[in-house]
Amino acid sequence: MRKTFLILSIIFVIISIIFSALPLDTLALLPIGISLILLFITFKKSEVNQRLLPKWLFIITYLCGIFVLGKTYLIKDEVAVDQQFEQQKIETKQEARQELEELENLE
Amino acid sequence: MKKIVFLIATALIFCSFTSDKNVAVPSGEKLVYAGSYNMSGLMTHLAQVTMSTETVTTAKNSYLHLNCELATFSKWDKFFKIRDIYESYVNPITLKPSLYKRSIDEGGYTKKEKYAFKGNAVTSTSKKRRQPETVKKFIIGAATQDVVSLLYKVRTVDFTKLKTGDIKSFKIIFDEKEIPVTLKYMGTETVKAGNLGNKNCYKLSIGAKTDALKGKDKNLIWLTADAKKVPALMKFSIPVGTGQLALTSATGI
Repeated sequence: MRKTFLILSIIFVIISIIFSALPLDTLALLPIGISLILLFITFKKSEVNQRLLPKWLFIITYLCGIFVLGKTYLIKDEVAVDQQFEQQKIETKQEARQELEELENLE
Repeated sequence: MKKIVFLIATALIFCSFTSDKNVAVPSGEKLVYAGSYNMSGLMTHLAQVTMSTETVTTAKNSYLHLNCELATFSKWDKFFKIRDIYESYVNPITLKPSLYKRSIDEGGYTKKEKYAFKGNAVTSTSKKRRQPETVKKFIIGAATQDVVSLLYKVRTVDFTKLKTGDIKSFKIIFDEKEIPVTLKYMGTETVKAGNLGNKNCYKLSIGAKTDALKGKDKNLIWLTADAKKVPALMKFSIPVGTGQLALTSATGI
């Protein structure tokens, strides 16, 4: 039983690291949360001399959590300047003016 | 003398009506929102929504251009880039639409839609990615708005006369369908309104006969309880989750 939880913990810790590294924002907190629950169970089911690996996995998971929350609250959300989008807006406005004039001429 | 007084009084009443309506939606207004989506129990900032207004003039008329843009924050662009524009050209006083345009680019899926309003007749032109352009003509109700102009039309409603639970009905045209929309007044609440600080707001529940919105009183909008009626917060519940649009900056109001 302990082995199953340990394997699951390792899998979720790896997923947590991957999700934390990717720009997935707070979505990474989902595997981190699952990892912490699995690690807690593993820790409880482990003998005193078997607790070293779960301890290190706990530390890694906590660091992932701090990293994700740090990114969420410290990095400012910005919209990239998109020249194509800006050009599209200008063209759309010009087209709209022509379309409005066409509508007016129909009246 | 009576005639002069009558004329002045009539002019004053007319001016007061027009200015009242103009105050609700001024030209040059820019409202910026942070769009968030509920991910793993936390609201995650996904995109920026910008609503702006400006006057557009043609040879014969003057229109109020209501523009609503949605752009994902740069951190999401590599995964799922969204660049949407919803715009409406309306009569500056009545907010009746003449032209509605929608251009969406959501992770590569593109769609362009245009509604040209002429009285109660609408000519719609729609073009989806890798599909031929389609043109349809249909008749709508006299008070039917497009989705963008409705957002602004709501701001012209006098909520001081409404009681909690009162419902106002509207009709919108979306995806070439006329959809009834209800607005339920739910009293007032204080919410954060970006650079405007904490504001007392009218709380309204939006109901629509569409699959796009889910739950009862889960699609809410808070308008500042003043003459400007700026949308300070919008919460929505859709089949794939919940989210919100929170005002971060309001200028030109």
